[in-house]
Amino acid sequence: MVARPSTALLLRRLRGLTPALRRRPESFVTSRYTTSFLANRSCCRSFSSTGSGSPSDNAHQSTSDPNFTTVSPDEVSHFNALASSWWDPHGPSRILHLMNPLRHDFIRMCRNSVLDAPSNTGLTYLDIGCGGGIFAESAARLPGTKSVTAIDPSPEVLNIARGHAHRDPSLRYKLQYLNTPIEQLTKTLHSQQPQAAQQQPQQPQYDVVSVFEVLEHVSNPAQFLDQCAPFVKPGGWLVMSTIARTWLSWFTTNLMAEDVLRIVPRGTHDWQKYVNEEELRGHFMAGRSGQWAEPRCMGVIYIPGVGWREVQGSEKVGNYFFAVRKTAEE
Amino acid sequence: MEALLSRSRQLRRPASRLCWSCSRQLKAQARRAYASAASQPDIYDVVCVGGGPAGLSLLTALRPGKDSRLEAAPGPILEPMQLVDSLLGELSEPNRGMGPPGERACPAVSRDAGLGRRDGCAHRVRLGDARHGEDDRLYDGEPEPHLRAFAPDERYRGAEVFDKVKVENITFGEDKDDLDLTQWPVVHLSGGKQLAARLLVGADGANSPVRAFAEIESRGWDYERHGVVATLEMEDEGWGGHDMKIAYQRFLPTGPVAMLPMPGRYATMVWSTTPRNAALLKSLPAKDFLAVVNAAFRLRPVDLEFMHTTESGQAEELLWRLQHTHVNHQSVPQTVVSVQEGSVASFPLKLRHADTYIGERVVLVGDAAHTVHPLAGQGLNAGQGDVESLARAIEYSVLHGQDLGTRMSLESYNSERYAANHVMLGVCDKLHKLYSVESGPLVPLRSFGLNAVNAMRPLKNFFMDQAAGKGAKLF
Repeated sequence: MVARPSTALLLRRLRGLTPALRRRPESFVTSRYTTSFLANRSCCRSFSSTGSGSPSDNAHQSTSDPNFTTVSPDEVSHFNALASSWWDPHGPSRILHLMNPLRHDFIRMCRNSVLDAPSNTGLTYLDIGCGGGIFAESAARLPGTKSVTAIDPSPEVLNIARGHAHRDPSLRYKLQYLNTPIEQLTKTLHSQQPQAAQQQPQQPQYDVVSVFEVLEHVSNPAQFLDQCAPFVKPGGWLVMSTIARTWLSWFTTNLMAEDVLRIVPRGTHDWQKYVNEEELRGHFMAGRSGQWAEPRCMGVIYIPGVGWREVQGSEKVGNYFFAVRKTAEE
Repeated sequence: MEALLSRSRQLRRPASRLCWSCSRQLKAQARRAYASAASQPDIYDVVCVGGGPAGLSLLTALRPGKDSRLEAAPGPILEPMQLVDSLLGELSEPNRGMGPPGERACPAVSRDAGLGRRDGCAHRVRLGDARHGEDDRLYDGEPEPHLRAFAPDERYRGAEVFDKVKVENITFGEDKDDLDLTQWPVVHLSGGKQLAARLLVGADGANSPVRAFAEIESRGWDYERHGVVATLEMEDEGWGGHDMKIAYQRFLPTGPVAMLPMPGRYATMVWSTTPRNAALLKSLPAKDFLAVVNAAFRLRPVDLEFMHTTESGQAEELLWRLQHTHVNHQSVPQTVVSVQEGSVASFPLKLRHADTYIGERVVLVGDAAHTVHPLAGQGLNAGQGDVESLARAIEYSVLHGQDLGTRMSLESYNSERYAANHVMLGVCDKLHKLYSVESGPLVPLRSFGLNAVNAMRPLKNFFMDQAAGKGAKLF
């Protein structure tokens, strides 16, 4: 899919079905096919084979290639096109805005669920794939937050995020946006520091590392998660959200939300890239056992006209949050 | 216009402390950089324009207490008394908090007074288990925070109150110093102070300047009636004594007149009448004014009508006519002996409903959102319901890191209150229409209906609960 200016995208939405349909076969042949193929392959590879204990392979592969990234270019261009309407409360991202409070409820639930929870003040957050900053801004506004670092590979979306954050004085000293993929984050942060040249880069670590609605957009989720893992403080949480790969989720998130009701922009989701809860659980608890503990999960369902509601057991069929706590370093 | 502005600094202690400190830093920077430029706006989370019951209640609701999930706040900045004193001269509607000097009070608005009355005769209504509660404030027997804002021991801690200032203008902020306030309303006060608001609350009454700023249309119609209000002193503490306050309402052909008890010997009167009668009432000397008020609860409508035809001499007229009228003194308010100077005011009665209660960084509460005929005393209740709902929406956004000024954060308030208020406005409007009929078959029918409701205890209780906001939620 090529990058289109956002006005064109909006016009397409306004004009309705026909242009979108015309475009459909072509994009299906060029991008959909390849991404779904890749995704299929990566899903199998990441969540079944690496489970047998080769996390270092991935890490090795990534560090050996300085330009290695789990970001997929199609996705970057898709979200670039959505940038301008990101903060429109009635725009295409409305459903994400509505979901945001639940993320905080989930994180609070996770942090309060362990006996040795550290204090709720002075927390540091790393938001990976922050988009327009819906979660990053809200995390920075919370009283217990010390700082939020938010990264996204899409420059246009990040410009929107920066512009929007300037409208709120309370974010000024708490929120930092960086246009970098996770693989380059350590380097980017290091280069910001004075006398960067003399020192070895240090691994920055955060109390909460959040990866919201990102796993279904990266080309290799397992590898991507291994890249995120070092940024979690021991005792801190890695918090994710994605969609389960089921027939029901295809029906609701692809057919209904994108094509019929159009509450989510077309082409946002690729069903093949969805990740099931057992796969995540297996990845952390079996594949990287010893490092992670306390898996937590919360299934949520969007009911038009009502909003997002937690529904027990719905992680098996649709959107869900998942979190694990880091127990030790690798 | 009365301006009460508050910063809800207490809302989220550390965050807004940071916000406050960073805004201070910003101001310090700005002073250095733009030494000659116009003054910079101070940055606030909540600025509330209007110090009526809705505004004050919101302040109190946002103020954290022991039971609040929000943290504690510093000490008082202003004695609430001063605030209410300053309101007395500015009354524009009957439900505004008012009281005799030295006593903080709000009329215990007739939550139940709309029921049990009969045509043409004053009817006693008991206000719940009215009592002087543990802190001398709950005159309507509601142990809920409905009238808390008026309690003498409450201080508006954590809020800043700008008393006796006027809002001269409301504009949008500027984009400079790396801070974009172009979507933040900036309130310009007399004296040059500027307040930039994350959320601007319009609790500024029927002619709300905040609503005008937000370009929210308000629609409805006028009733060709004026409401005359006055703060009165009675001969004693009322037939219920110190512990049980009684509100009275009598339906006259020109409109209802209500006597709403306040602490001690005081009461507030709200009298809906024709503009001509209202003008006369305001022009009468105190002695004659009191005579007409006493007559309004005692004499027959025809006698009362006559008393509105002369420019003076009502006092003598009443003495003479009372000799020829049978009055059960226990069933009418005690005799009014004096009227507080300057408290007599009138305002046109109308129905107005704003198209929406929310805009980006703007929210309307109370009369700014909806203006209602006072005959059922629902204006204050509706305003308090608004505040309760808005405070809940604000608390939710604060606890979830939302920007409390955005439309997204305020949506729940609008959807919770709009339909409920619309029904209330409609019911009061129909009641007014029902009672403005002076003759014809509707009059006995109306009396029969009211008597029937009065006789059917469960139905009456249902109506009373609905009027008091305690019953099952219908809308």
